[in-house]
Amino acid sequence: MAKPIAQPFAQPAFRAHPQTLAGLLVLAATAAVILTVSRRDPEFGVFAALGLGFGVALQRSRFCFNAAFRDLWQFRSGRTMKGVIVGMSVATVGFGIHMYTLLPNPSLGVVAPEAHATPLSLALVVGGLLFGIGMVVAGGCVSGSIYRMAEGYVASWVSFAGIMGGLLLAAHTWNWWWEHFIRDAPVVWFPRYLGYGGAVALTLAGLLGTYLLVLWIESRGGPDIREAAQPEPVETFGARVRALVHAVVGRGWPVAVGGIVVGLLNVFSYDVHMPWRVVGEMSRWASGFGSLVGLAPGPLQGTEELAACTLTVGGGLLTHGLVLNVGLFGGSLLAALAAHEFKVRVPRNRVRYLQSAAGGLAMGYGAAIALGCTVGAFFSAIPSLALNGWVFAVALAGGAFLGLQVIRRIP
Amino acid sequence: MLLDVRGETCPYPMQKVMDALETLPKGEELEVLLDHPPAIETIKWLAARRGFAVEVETIGSSEWRLRLRRREEVVA
Repeated sequence: MAKPIAQPFAQPAFRAHPQTLAGLLVLAATAAVILTVSRRDPEFGVFAALGLGFGVALQRSRFCFNAAFRDLWQFRSGRTMKGVIVGMSVATVGFGIHMYTLLPNPSLGVVAPEAHATPLSLALVVGGLLFGIGMVVAGGCVSGSIYRMAEGYVASWVSFAGIMGGLLLAAHTWNWWWEHFIRDAPVVWFPRYLGYGGAVALTLAGLLGTYLLVLWIESRGGPDIREAAQPEPVETFGARVRALVHAVVGRGWPVAVGGIVVGLLNVFSYDVHMPWRVVGEMSRWASGFGSLVGLAPGPLQGTEELAACTLTVGGGLLTHGLVLNVGLFGGSLLAALAAHEFKVRVPRNRVRYLQSAAGGLAMGYGAAIALGCTVGAFFSAIPSLALNGWVFAVALAGGAFLGLQVIRRIP
Repeated sequence: MLLDVRGETCPYPMQKVMDALETLPKGEELEVLLDHPPAIETIKWLAARRGFAVEVETIGSSEWRLRLRRREEVVA
């Protein structure tokens, strides 16, 4: 007779678990960091807090862009992609309203400040393919690697190093891509032709169509069987509070809830300064590292004319991107500790390190020439009402398919 | 049958579980040890599609044991 089976994540939330205590220490440290950077510039404090929110939401809802694309091909599962689509729909409305306040007349030929509308060039397609292959082979995209690093995945640290290497390598070849493909390529920003209302409507229609496509892919994978929930009786006030805490910090969130939270955080981020970005800042770290080891990239052409996640060299110590990325790491660590999910996970198969490094390299290079990763060139680009987000998405899907063929050959 | 996928991350835990279910003899249970929480929900969903019931047990800090049995073999 099998012994009674516990429910997943059913550890009591208030037991003085070592990870809970560590989580409280991280929370105190995070609050101190936010207060410190706020003194320098209140916007940095807001961005650190937003980063924290992104980290918590990504970790809690297992919001993984890699799984969103890969699972469609591998398991005919659209669970994650549906959450991503919900998140982009929320951001599309929020971005549309914010861009209207920034640039009331979009027909003048300029794009709203900070919107992720970038040139439609071969570099975008090649970058998306490389990125899609890289994320599947490495087992996580750039934001995914950062939040997994915080959860204790050793291979994600290797991915991170690979991404930095890819960004540095791309900085040395950037001018070639700029001169041959990016400089003269057109930017298609829908509000210019359709107004904000039309562009938001078109984008939402596109997202709805994509959602239906995902449902169709799922329908070809077999019946969707839902396990009946077994709610435990909740009577007292204390039990109700414990159930609430467990739902927020103990159990994983439904991915659609994660999508809504991440979409809203992205809107707040743009309202304060800029849409959610990851790799532009990382390229600054990569070129800084390159300078230390005598591999400093030369002047980068055209980056000042471009929006979104352009390769960056130099700059001050504190930037919006820095506090956002560090906040994301801290938020994920906090959420993982609160749920008692932190663990130093060392791959037993050494080949995984090679996969992480090579996948990271492909992602770093791809993100550099495509002007963003799954965050900047996709999740923040489609709500920017720009065609490049859709082109990048198709390239990512193609890359994820190719990446899956690679990992199917690696047991 | 025991499958230990601790240390593996997506998509390996799910893929290895699905491969093991294909060859699982009738009447046998597949026991899976894993430490990658995102895989749990995906495995439950994929296993349900293939007619398996999944029970999840926390066996330590960030480690779980899943028991997968054919739905018709589960004694209520």
